[in-house]
Amino acid sequence: MVKKKQLLLTCLIIIGWVLSMTNVMAVVNPTSDFYINDFAGVLSKDTKDYILSNSAALFDKTTAQLVVVTVESLEGENLEDYSLNLFRNWGIGDKEKNNGLLILLTMEEREIRIQVGDGLEGRINDAKAGRFLDDYGIPSFKKDEWDIGIKALYSALLAEIYSEYNVEMPEEVSMLVSEYDHNSEDSKIGMVMGIIIVALMIVFGGIFPLIFRRRRFYPHDYHDINHGSRGGFFGGGFSGGGFSSGGGFSGGGGFSGGGGTTSGGGASRGF
Amino acid sequence: MKKISGWGIFGIIVAALVVILGVWGIGSYNNLITLKETVNNQYSNIDVQLQRRMDLIPNLVSTVKGYTSHESEVLQQISESREKLSGASTVSDKANANAELSSALSRLLVIVENYPNLKADTQFTALTDELSGTENRIAVSRKDYNLAVQNYNQTIKKFPTVLIASMFGFSAADQFEASEGAQNAPTVSFE
Repeated sequence: MVKKKQLLLTCLIIIGWVLSMTNVMAVVNPTSDFYINDFAGVLSKDTKDYILSNSAALFDKTTAQLVVVTVESLEGENLEDYSLNLFRNWGIGDKEKNNGLLILLTMEEREIRIQVGDGLEGRINDAKAGRFLDDYGIPSFKKDEWDIGIKALYSALLAEIYSEYNVEMPEEVSMLVSEYDHNSEDSKIGMVMGIIIVALMIVFGGIFPLIFRRRRFYPHDYHDINHGSRGGFFGGGFSGGGFSSGGGFSGGGGFSGGGGTTSGGGASRGF
Repeated sequence: MKKISGWGIFGIIVAALVVILGVWGIGSYNNLITLKETVNNQYSNIDVQLQRRMDLIPNLVSTVKGYTSHESEVLQQISESREKLSGASTVSDKANANAELSSALSRLLVIVENYPNLKADTQFTALTDELSGTENRIAVSRKDYNLAVQNYNQTIKKFPTVLIASMFGFSAADQFEASEGAQNAPTVSFE
């Protein structure tokens, strides 16, 4: 009798342990696109293509990884924990530089979070992340305009990362960002001026390199995408993050994380 | 060829055992050192974030003071628990002081709801973002620390590593956990 009871208890403990394990590990797997994972299905194809090609280009130039994820629901988990687990599991950013950045949008809870990798905290501190959410994302999200909000927020953050690395950003991105700043009602004049100056410098100062580079920013053919992905695998394919996103091997050409981590920087908003 | 005597064989076996034990002992000791270092590292991560939090508070208090005149009680509480935190030295003292500070801060954030001008202040928004970011970092580093402690504590208690651990004085590390009641935040109803 005693033995049977013990056996039952052991079984229960094991089942409980397995359940708790699966609970902890309940992180969605990235798609083969890695940079854009519209699990909630709220973004247009144009926006997704824009994010995919720009993040791939950003990775090529700076090794930084800017990832957008939309989910239907957090399944009861808290936003900060969910985003931390996802970030670390996917290994967003380079393993050494930890220069990953995640934009996580959830539909059911109506929350958004920017999770910043340790290496980018100097440029995008928590206050700035919060301000970016307020300025670029929240006004659109309040009106359920996911496409507009995500694209604006994404572009603004993209521009920040380019500035951090002192790399010229694509003309398209700087134009978009300055446009958003014009549209936002309480835009700071100084910031707009700064962006205009940067845009002018790019237009007049670097028109030739841009013509060459532009071709890379619209990699609608798969060759360019494949090129980017190869860099991704060599960059950090051996780290945990790299392999966990094994979906990259299927479908011919994909991207994966570089093994970057975060210690919890960023900001969250409900709307 | 000379035959090895019984004592000789015994000697060889003893020597071999000593070598094996020595190699195992060194490996085990080094492993313990690594685990202990991980614990220390994670602990200093918590410390960095706690310090950061303490640094942010004077700014926050002065910003809030600019807008509010009769909320000095909460501000007083925040300053006091901040003092306590900066004076804390042991893991559990720090955890308790930190929890107390958290509850005082959350009380402040509830009060802020009554001051729309303060809420709209960009400086204040930036500070609360920094603070909540820091709180999130504290939570993350606490989790990482506790995991490292758990790993370390389990290892030093297991046989046969326990022999090495007790021989070299590896003692169990404390989890970063506030005691019951330290964070009993007042219940607030939003009506």
